[in-house]
Amino acid sequence: MSELLAVSRYEFRMQARKRSLWLVTLLLGCLLIAIQGDQGPRHLPADTPPAEVMTTWAILLGIVVPLGFGMVLADRLIRDRRLGTTALLESLPVGPGRFLAGKYLGGLAASALPVFLLMLVAGGYESLHRGDPLLLGWTVLVFAVVMLPGLAFVAGFALVCPLVVSAPLFRVLFVGYWFWGNFLGAEILPSLTGTLLTPVGAYPASWLSGQWQMYAGDPGWLSFLRPEPDGLAALSSVLLLVLTGLLPLLVAGLVFNRRRRTTV
Amino acid sequence: MDIQISRLARRFGKVTALHSVDLSIPGGMYGLLGANGAGKTTLMRILAGVLPPGSGQVRVGGHDLTTGAGRLAVQRRLGYLPQDLGLYPDLTPREFLDYVGLLKGLDDTRARRAQVDELLDLVALGEVAGRRMKGFSGGMRRRVGIAQALLGDPTLIVVDEPTAGLDPEERVRFRTLLAGLAGHRTVLLSTHIVEDVAQTCQHTAVMAAGRVVYTGTVADLVRVGEGATWEVVTGVGGPPPAGVVVSAVSRTDGTHYRVVSPTRPGADAVPAAPSLEEGYVALMRRAAAPVPSGSTGR
Amino acid sequence: MKSELIRPIQNRRLPLWRYEARRAGWTLLAAPLTALLVGVALALLAANGGSSRDQVGRMLLAGPEVLLPLTTGMAAVSMVARDGCRELQLSLPTRYAVTLGRRLGTLALAGAVCTLLFSAILGLTGLWAGPGPLASTLVWLPPTLWLAALAVLVGILGRSLVVATTVVAVVWLGELLFAAWFAAEGWARPFFLFTTVRFGVDGDWWTNRLALTASGLLIVVVVALLLRRPHQLLTEEEV
Repeated sequence: MSELLAVSRYEFRMQARKRSLWLVTLLLGCLLIAIQGDQGPRHLPADTPPAEVMTTWAILLGIVVPLGFGMVLADRLIRDRRLGTTALLESLPVGPGRFLAGKYLGGLAASALPVFLLMLVAGGYESLHRGDPLLLGWTVLVFAVVMLPGLAFVAGFALVCPLVVSAPLFRVLFVGYWFWGNFLGAEILPSLTGTLLTPVGAYPASWLSGQWQMYAGDPGWLSFLRPEPDGLAALSSVLLLVLTGLLPLLVAGLVFNRRRRTTV
Repeated sequence: MDIQISRLARRFGKVTALHSVDLSIPGGMYGLLGANGAGKTTLMRILAGVLPPGSGQVRVGGHDLTTGAGRLAVQRRLGYLPQDLGLYPDLTPREFLDYVGLLKGLDDTRARRAQVDELLDLVALGEVAGRRMKGFSGGMRRRVGIAQALLGDPTLIVVDEPTAGLDPEERVRFRTLLAGLAGHRTVLLSTHIVEDVAQTCQHTAVMAAGRVVYTGTVADLVRVGEGATWEVVTGVGGPPPAGVVVSAVSRTDGTHYRVVSPTRPGADAVPAAPSLEEGYVALMRRAAAPVPSGSTGR
Repeated sequence: MKSELIRPIQNRRLPLWRYEARRAGWTLLAAPLTALLVGVALALLAANGGSSRDQVGRMLLAGPEVLLPLTTGMAAVSMVARDGCRELQLSLPTRYAVTLGRRLGTLALAGAVCTLLFSAILGLTGLWAGPGPLASTLVWLPPTLWLAALAVLVGILGRSLVVATTVVAVVWLGELLFAAWFAAEGWARPFFLFTTVRFGVDGDWWTNRLALTASGLLIVVVVALLLRRPHQLLTEEEV
């Protein structure tokens, strides 16, 4: 357990020190706030319920901020190879499973931190603007339920997939996937948009705000993944996103374990 | 190809890598010694035209390196081996050298290829000339590096830490090769391995914290350690409390320490004849001490 | 080893282009082929879903107009951002900007050949929904030039692969998601990358293509000016 914490802690530190992580989040946050359009949180009436205010922020930031998140994480495991630290890390008594888990947790925490801070700024602004301190509490809840599962989902794939398809190709595929899986309506093409596996958080956002968000439950391909948006569906979406994000880690852990056994 | 540097300074953000460096390098083999972070690599990069000088004057063979035209003129006569030479792993040594040769402007295909094969034989890579460099050892990579530096028969060769990571046999081979090249060229060898300079250079400069703290002959640098080098033998206990321990050899009568210290490090310490390494350590200790007013530090 | 071997560099030689193509590696063909094949896959899915021939034709245009700029932009920035021999390259008498230009040129050439063949096949089979043969290049060339040039510019300015790829991704996604905004804003419409697929070849199409080409070339000029100081490409690890 202490080894897992150590790997997580240092992965967190290394990544939190990356200037590009903060720069990307800041750039994207400012851009989204500036061009949010008439659907954005700035245009919500004064009497809008706090949950709806903060889910609107989460959806707004969730449009592109996880893209930067995926780009940052895409070279975290490849980097070890590039910097020549793989052999050193493999010589340590930490198993590949724990090592991967530590990288995942540390990377997720570090990359989610600027997103969380951005949400806190938005929540702080809204609580001052609307005179409701409870909005800060909603900020934390909305971040945890709407944004974090999607980020956890992205983190699992962004860490492992570049090992198989290379980082540049992963980045291209990831951008294409992000559009296809979140925004391409199922009426145009078969897509994952509006399903429980939509990482932008359509189901939890719809449940928390009581408003239909981001095509959640729209009829289309894979109808079993498109229930009515309610509490149970939101919970299923959160669990499904987190567990699906762990799948690539599980596969990578098994492969690394087998490789270590055959090379010893 | 002589090199004249005057009042050269270079900053990276808030960090000053070079403070008003003055240096004159004649032809032949010339050593540049200094600890890691002393500013050697920045100086090498400026001389190779990789970085433009921040301020001051740098003339190489009469060409002014503060101008683009001057840098290009020098680069046409230059062979450069950077400290961290990343090779293109999907190329073979023969292809890599051919590629670099083309970028150096060696247009005659037949002559270029002949030169590539000649250089690969010179660095003992002829047998693996057609193998991709992906799995090459550190020593093999350095040898590819020196071979590419020699392409086009350069009159100025700048090598930055060329022997780092090489085994003793390869280091000796490498040094001999460099020394052999220095006959009608200027070979500038930057290193923190004192032994490399001791074995190959007659003249050397020493850098510390972005400044040149010594220029002169290697023999004079050895003399800096005179009166400051001691041998101490201890039966039990640790090294002497004063000075810098340069070596410690355990023998039957106790541990023999060689210590650099301006004062006698212990009652039983006896003066010893300094080596280049000890002269260098004595110089660095002197450079680290507060400089008395009026002293140039050289 | 004869010193007269060194002569001023005159003509760009074919072997150098071959070496630069090898430097670019598999990305060279993967970038255009991925874009075009994904476009075909999307069109097949649309056809299978009962879309009209016109809609399928538009979907086929998505390969060259929508996906090719993304894959080319990402490939271009990867080529510029990482070079294991950058320090050595900067010490050679061939300007690094020329070497990078040649490397990116091979990417452009591979993309152009693949896309021209693709367009020709669609034209011959009657599935081409874009403008006539002479103007067909303008479906993919202006957006590809624009996004790839932007990618390289951000890569050089930011010296960060992450920042550059994120900017490319965000611009690409933003243009797709906010197409209606681009259509509504008069000043932004000339800079919308995917006009053919989203709005067809209407009256503003030529203006849009010319504006994209001109602004893309402007970015290329800025990149060329920045590359006059190539040492700025050395990252913190290298400096």
